[in-house]
Amino acid sequence: MGKVRITEYLEIDCDTEKWCCNRCGYELYDARGNYKKGCLVYENPLEQVHPPLAPDADFNFTPNKEFCRLIEFYCPGCGIQIENEYLPPGHPITHEIELDIDALKARQADQRPADKRSG
Amino acid sequence: MSKTSYGRDYEVVQRLRPEPVTDREQLAQGAVQDIDFDIFKHKMHMIALEGKETTMKLGASTAMRFGDVAFGIFTAQGDLAVCATGIYHHAVLGQIPLKYIVKHWADEASVGVREGDSFFYNDPFYGGVHNADMGLAIPVFHGDELICFVGAAVHTGEAGGTEPGGVITSARSKYDEGMLIPPIKIGENFRLKEDLLTMLGAMTRDERTMILDIKARLAAVRIAQRRIQEVVADKGVDFFIGALRKTLTVTGEAARKKIAELNDGVFRQPRFLDSLGTAPGLTKINLTVVKKGERVLLDFSNSSPMAMDRPINTYFQGLIGLTMVYFCGWLFHDLPANNGLLEAVDWKFPDNSLVNAKGDVSTSLAPLTQICFTQGMFLCGARMTYSHDPSRAVAAWFSGFAIPNFGGLNQKGEPIADLTPEINATGCGARYDQDGVDAAGAFFATMSDCSDIETTEEDRPFVYTFRNLFNNSYGHGKFRGGAGVGFGLMVHDTPMLVLGAMGGGTRFPTTLGLFGGNAVPPTFVQYVHNSNLNELMSEADSRLPNNLTAVYEAENPEQGDRHFNETNMTVRPFANGDTYYLGVGGGGGYGDAIEREPAAVIRDLRRGLVSHWAARNIYHVAYDGESLRLDSPATEALRMEVREERKKRGKPYDEFVEEWEQLSPPAELLTYYGSYPDPEAGLSDS
Repeated sequence: MGKVRITEYLEIDCDTEKWCCNRCGYELYDARGNYKKGCLVYENPLEQVHPPLAPDADFNFTPNKEFCRLIEFYCPGCGIQIENEYLPPGHPITHEIELDIDALKARQADQRPADKRSG
Repeated sequence: MSKTSYGRDYEVVQRLRPEPVTDREQLAQGAVQDIDFDIFKHKMHMIALEGKETTMKLGASTAMRFGDVAFGIFTAQGDLAVCATGIYHHAVLGQIPLKYIVKHWADEASVGVREGDSFFYNDPFYGGVHNADMGLAIPVFHGDELICFVGAAVHTGEAGGTEPGGVITSARSKYDEGMLIPPIKIGENFRLKEDLLTMLGAMTRDERTMILDIKARLAAVRIAQRRIQEVVADKGVDFFIGALRKTLTVTGEAARKKIAELNDGVFRQPRFLDSLGTAPGLTKINLTVVKKGERVLLDFSNSSPMAMDRPINTYFQGLIGLTMVYFCGWLFHDLPANNGLLEAVDWKFPDNSLVNAKGDVSTSLAPLTQICFTQGMFLCGARMTYSHDPSRAVAAWFSGFAIPNFGGLNQKGEPIADLTPEINATGCGARYDQDGVDAAGAFFATMSDCSDIETTEEDRPFVYTFRNLFNNSYGHGKFRGGAGVGFGLMVHDTPMLVLGAMGGGTRFPTTLGLFGGNAVPPTFVQYVHNSNLNELMSEADSRLPNNLTAVYEAENPEQGDRHFNETNMTVRPFANGDTYYLGVGGGGGYGDAIEREPAAVIRDLRRGLVSHWAARNIYHVAYDGESLRLDSPATEALRMEVREERKKRGKPYDEFVEEWEQLSPPAELLTYYGSYPDPEAGLSDS
């Protein structure tokens, strides 16, 4: 059945039932689970992405780290940033895409190969 | 009152989907031929569009003049069948007051629904958003038969209450909000009742705008009424009733078919609001989208509890209205915009929740909570649709408002109370194949406009010191969000003015990126009392800041008592010469910034739309700082270094989570959150 593109950086290999990186093909995790569990994870300090531009300590265009942190998820194969999350400190990481893999495979099996979105 | 008590009607607000088809409608829609139906749809849309344009041209308030207008044609049962608007939530929610009118007033001897009547409403319990949004609708008859309603719902910038401008950041209950009027009859026999107009005028700070807006809505719906009656005269009443109903029927069928094309699954996006109105604090809107077969379920379980003395609550119907903004504009962009779309949607709202307000709690800042949610809808929608059609996957437009609200007297001595229009100049979210549009509009009012500065200055006591694109207003990414607008105001020639702001995202970004794109940076207010800016302007000082970045640079010569505030700012007195600075955000970024085409970064540098800091530290582009000549090999090498560095610094998931889950926000920020991290944890099911 091959691979099905799911997001900009993710695809699912319907034959192996694995999440894969679209850029390098790295097998990330079980397609029935959270792909983030197969990523490298890093908390990037907020000022590395949103630098302070104003002199005030509380109002300067950088999110407040007591409210918010930035977590980045990288492909272990090629280092692309597959996704990020802005979360309050310690808030569980979101399982944001939980596809019905059996329905996905059935849909793929019903489609002509030329119709499949992949790569 | 034959069918209800004098309290709120919790039954009628549930009826957001189309009413059951009547025998009359069923018979009539079966006889409508396809070609006639296509012509009818176009004709009705043109009628609605004329209504929208008329409302805008005749209105007085900022929002009405610049396009925050919803104009709809509704069935005789009150369902929205046709609308012309970019502000879909008002159109969809506009059906609740009509269903209320049909239910309570049609057979009530002291009220009734007759030819020539007009009805007014602004209670957000029925309109769904907040009380500054006001609607007017009329019944349309053919002989003695009610055949449809026509309505116009628009934000009038002042609704009384303890603060001007229709947004009460300090409200502690609904009684602080001002006018809360369920559907009432304000006109009979084609005449507005002057006693009721006088009452409505007396309940607000700017009676002239209030009454002009009412009359603008009425004029527009009366024109549409005439056009509809021409259609009925031409095609017959049976055709009209059948075709109007058929519009809903085919929309519902098409919506279910479109949903069925998407992958089945569960899509989640928790959203966090960082403001309680007048104080910082975290609350959670927990969105889970379950797509199965031809239906979508929106589940808000585990959201924060009702904020009993804060204005950030929302009625559930408001969130469904905002869902329709995403559905009409993006997911079902090629289907008619009407509540037939909701035939494919189910929803689940927990009781006593921030997103399911009840009782006397305030909902004055509900629009902020609602767009905070809608941004989650964009993200879940993108994950749901990309596999089928990546062009539907778009990062969210700015979702934090950042609106100045004001009240007082203008330079002509006239009372004013309203908002400024820059909310209609936010940036569009980045897309899978291109950047977001700069200063595109507002996602909930895509056909709106931010007005010429000169027009706003004409009857507001402000001089704009600048208003232009702000290069720190959008999310970075492979494709960047469209830039928002920064602006400076100087107060002048007023004997009395209070000024505040409404919005969120000063501490936690309101607008996230998509697929690795970055969020929109925070917004906040800076204001300067006793500013020397007027003096510097009179001296034509060339160092004066001409964009929001320059306001914060060391070279800025402005002196005075400088203050900062979160984007929700309770109004406070401003004197002539005081200045005020704010920016409306841009769109979220899409994809990893190190995949951005380097030439696009250089192009943005030339236009001042990206900072040198971001070009080097976010996009990792190598170039000559003076000529801006791109060094492609060096850029490639830099980006390879970034990838390798990420692989070194990233931790395996379990190892990261073990440390991460030891963290928590300070307890004082969680007063209104509920149990952390799951707000409903520990609550019994009873």
